[in-house]
Amino acid sequence: MKLVGENMNVMSKTLGPAMRERDASPIRKMAENIASKNVDFIDINLGPARKQGAEMMEWVVKTVNEVTDIPLFLDTSNVEAMEAGLKVVKRDKGKPVINSVSARPERMEALFPLAKTYEAGVVALLLGVDGIPRDENERGILWSELMVKCTEFELAPQDVYVDPIVLPVNTQQNQVQGCTNFMMMFRDIAPGYSSTCGLSNISNGAPEHLRPILNQTYSVILNHLGMESAIVDSFDADLTAFARGGKAEIRDLILKAVNGEDIDTASLSKDMLDYVKTAKLLLGQSLYSDSWLEL
Amino acid sequence: MALTGIEIFKQLPKTNCKDCGFPTCLAFAMNLAAGKGELADCPHVSDAAKETLSAASAPPIRPVKIGAGDYVVTVGGETVEFRHEKTFVNPTPIAVMVSTDMSDADVEAKIKMLDTLVFDRVGLKLKPEMVAVKDAGGDAAKFSALVSKILSIKACPLILVSSSADSLKAGAEACGDNKPLLHAATAENADAVAAIAKEKGCPVVAKADSLDALAQLTEKLSAAGLKDIVLDTGATDIKKAFEEQIIIRRAALRKLFRPLGFPTITFPCEMFDDPMMETLAAATMIAKYSGIVVLSDLKGETVFPLLLQRMNIFTDPQRPMATEQGIYPIGNPDENSPVLITTNFSLTYFIVAGEIEASRVPSWLLIIDSEGLSVLTAWAAGKFVADAIAPFVKKSGIEDKIKHRKIVIPGYAAQISGELEEELAGWEIQIGPREASHLSAFLKNWSAA
Amino acid sequence: MAFETPKINYSGKIREVKLGKSKNVSVGGESAYPLYLFEGENPNQPKIAMEVFDLAPEEWADAAIAPFKDVAGDPVAWAKLNVEQHGADMIALYLVSTDPNDKNMDAAQAAETAKKVAQAVDVPVIVYGTGSEEKDAEVLAKVAEACEGLNVIIGPVQEAGHKKIGAPCIGYKHTVSANTPIDVNLAKQLNILLGNLGVNADNIIIDPTTGGLGYGIEYTYSVIERIRMAALTQQDAQLQQPIISVLGREVWKCKEAKMGAEDEKYGDPAKRGILMEAVSAVSMIISGADIVVLRHPETVKLIKQYLKAFFN
Repeated sequence: MKLVGENMNVMSKTLGPAMRERDASPIRKMAENIASKNVDFIDINLGPARKQGAEMMEWVVKTVNEVTDIPLFLDTSNVEAMEAGLKVVKRDKGKPVINSVSARPERMEALFPLAKTYEAGVVALLLGVDGIPRDENERGILWSELMVKCTEFELAPQDVYVDPIVLPVNTQQNQVQGCTNFMMMFRDIAPGYSSTCGLSNISNGAPEHLRPILNQTYSVILNHLGMESAIVDSFDADLTAFARGGKAEIRDLILKAVNGEDIDTASLSKDMLDYVKTAKLLLGQSLYSDSWLEL
Repeated sequence: MALTGIEIFKQLPKTNCKDCGFPTCLAFAMNLAAGKGELADCPHVSDAAKETLSAASAPPIRPVKIGAGDYVVTVGGETVEFRHEKTFVNPTPIAVMVSTDMSDADVEAKIKMLDTLVFDRVGLKLKPEMVAVKDAGGDAAKFSALVSKILSIKACPLILVSSSADSLKAGAEACGDNKPLLHAATAENADAVAAIAKEKGCPVVAKADSLDALAQLTEKLSAAGLKDIVLDTGATDIKKAFEEQIIIRRAALRKLFRPLGFPTITFPCEMFDDPMMETLAAATMIAKYSGIVVLSDLKGETVFPLLLQRMNIFTDPQRPMATEQGIYPIGNPDENSPVLITTNFSLTYFIVAGEIEASRVPSWLLIIDSEGLSVLTAWAAGKFVADAIAPFVKKSGIEDKIKHRKIVIPGYAAQISGELEEELAGWEIQIGPREASHLSAFLKNWSAA
Repeated sequence: MAFETPKINYSGKIREVKLGKSKNVSVGGESAYPLYLFEGENPNQPKIAMEVFDLAPEEWADAAIAPFKDVAGDPVAWAKLNVEQHGADMIALYLVSTDPNDKNMDAAQAAETAKKVAQAVDVPVIVYGTGSEEKDAEVLAKVAEACEGLNVIIGPVQEAGHKKIGAPCIGYKHTVSANTPIDVNLAKQLNILLGNLGVNADNIIIDPTTGGLGYGIEYTYSVIERIRMAALTQQDAQLQQPIISVLGREVWKCKEAKMGAEDEKYGDPAKRGILMEAVSAVSMIISGADIVVLRHPETVKLIKQYLKAFFN
């Protein structure tokens, strides 16, 4: 699975002020750190960027490109900022990717032309005018709307990264199934298209020390169903190991749970058992609580 | 189980011809799977595919329309047993029973309550919708006269209640284009009533006192070409009615048992004599699956609680109700009253407004459009942040209503206070309590000076 | 075509919790969804607890205070009236005097009141603090001590203060009412924490927080349904507890329950308030509440008659 490092984020307490004050050193340092983790993309998340968004995006993109030419995901809801980034971004190692275009008319009308003009990829976010889709079928409807636009603007399928929207398991456990079930249909309804997701959202709100196991386990489940990239914490070494095909024993165990095979839990180490419990939680077979690993 | 979008998609021609009204076959398939649209809209689907799909792609509980034009209610169309699984779709219409043996004055009084009992609530109009007209003596002329009279007072969807096919026919004719629900076809009169329903294009109630007999009856009506059927088990005992409603819903959803795949009607008015107990029977039927409930009378004290309960039960759990953005004065505030701001998640609004009201401190409550999210979620989603709040406060017009420049933000949003102070020049940002229940004490100690 | 009733695979059962000083009132024990008596057991019909305030209420609707005007301010007399005249199955005593945002009265005195009430009636007594983390920790610990041997139900025990209140409940052998914001996952988590602390599952009931009618009761409705579903069909051991819905005070707080007769379309004010409470109680019972806390004697009568229609 390809990895998109999520750590270049305006919400960060050090990077946010640095971006606003155009202090290049923390930005460069973070870019170097992320790059050293061997990610496939770096996500530049400026959030709404309402004030001087274009200037900020241009500056951050240039600053990051000074130290790395890993391709970038440009992540902002400000369309001008998006265009400013696309104008200056390096593309030696691959196309930049617009993150994201939802199935809302104003977003599609503003951003698909940019994708075409600047030959950029797009994240097709399955979010509609009515908000977050409630199940796999509503995700399917939104995808069908976005797909029409992708075709209209002649985007190559592999440059379109479908994002089915990962929601937090601690408050919206039912909704996790909607995302998982959509991925089960994905290869059939989006042949040739790429996919990505905001993986860390699965563990948003869960106890900090338990977030990695949720992220890792869900990455294995989604990857198995065809998810080929994920926007992730660049510094979770275990997650990277899973993404690069390591930890085969745990992966197999998680997939056994996905396939409903019997698992002899008595013979498992605590560590292995934790992954089984987490998989069952993510598959909706047990109800979430912060102490799920203790049960 | 209903078919998934992909199972439907695989059976479609994949030509993206748009003849179905959707841009692509995929879009059509996904909409069909979500219960929007009908397979028949695709003219090109093969016969073999039609056979595989039509049975399975039809909604498990048929949505049935009653009335016409502006006066239509839709019942049925439900897809879950428990509202959290998705949502309940069509709120149970509340009907009032009138009868040919009532005085004109009584009838008029009951009908007029349909216009009186209209309650505004977060952008929704809550009201009872229907009239059930009972043919007490089997007199077709009298019955049709009553139907005409009711429609002359109030255009609304009707339920015509008679065991006589002649009366039902006369009543349906008196309705003109306003398609009434015919109550009821039974084992005895099924052929005659089916013929009227077919001729007039009316939905029809199938009534039998066992579920087996009911299933047989609907099969007979279906075979006669009727599609819009409503089920009545005739239960006058609440325990029996409760059980039957559950079994019908379960058979339709879990087994896709077509003969019971229709909405239901129940008569709380026949379950208890006491109007208050009748109200509790109606509340039970609204929560547990009755498509329509019929009451003996409409009074503010009985109908209002039922309307609230119905609104709550039928609220989409994943699309919480949102309150309109704006300034909400609570308890006649003046230029020295406190100003508070919160999100437009309806529950947040209700709770905060309720606590302010309980405090008896007149206040201005500002509600900002946060797409229906609660404070913490809206903050996390960037909807309740300084650069959204500041422009809203300035444009809202609140500055013209007050002398001071203090605004109270929710305790859970304390982290935005610094940025908000920068964005909202000249204002003092005050951090309120985290829990609304502590607002009363907070407001009592608040001062403009 | 004939059909067989589709069956639910109930694989779990709700724990039966015995309440009261002589443990003579049981709640829970269900092996089927609430009132689904055609396919399983609801061995203990839902119980009605009636409210008692330790101070004379100040802002109650006229209709709500009228039946209690002779006993308001005398919690023991009030509790006895509820049991003897109105047929309360249980008493829910609110120690409103201790509210730190209001009177903020002494914990020891409130605990003494709780003891007197619990001694005065034979039915189980629920003792509720005000939900203030700090004050409740003090008040409810004292209540636990003062009521030793009386097996009262103490709440709201919330995550933040669960150790400070939970420990004396274990020590003095009381039942804990575990209260969380309206959220099934948090309800489960608190029961786990109480278990870790050493509270026996036979001494826990769940208070999932009740929203008012028209003011969020649907959230409670669905959380209770989800708790029951997990308990009965997913063998979720932490959620197999009886549930209490503290609804009287929520309903009577609503604007429309307090309103007079000024707007004709809202009908008779007393009956409106009673029916708002009764419709809420029915909704909570249908979703799975084992105990409903009610205010008005007329509501109690209605709910008793309602339950009789199912259980007799």
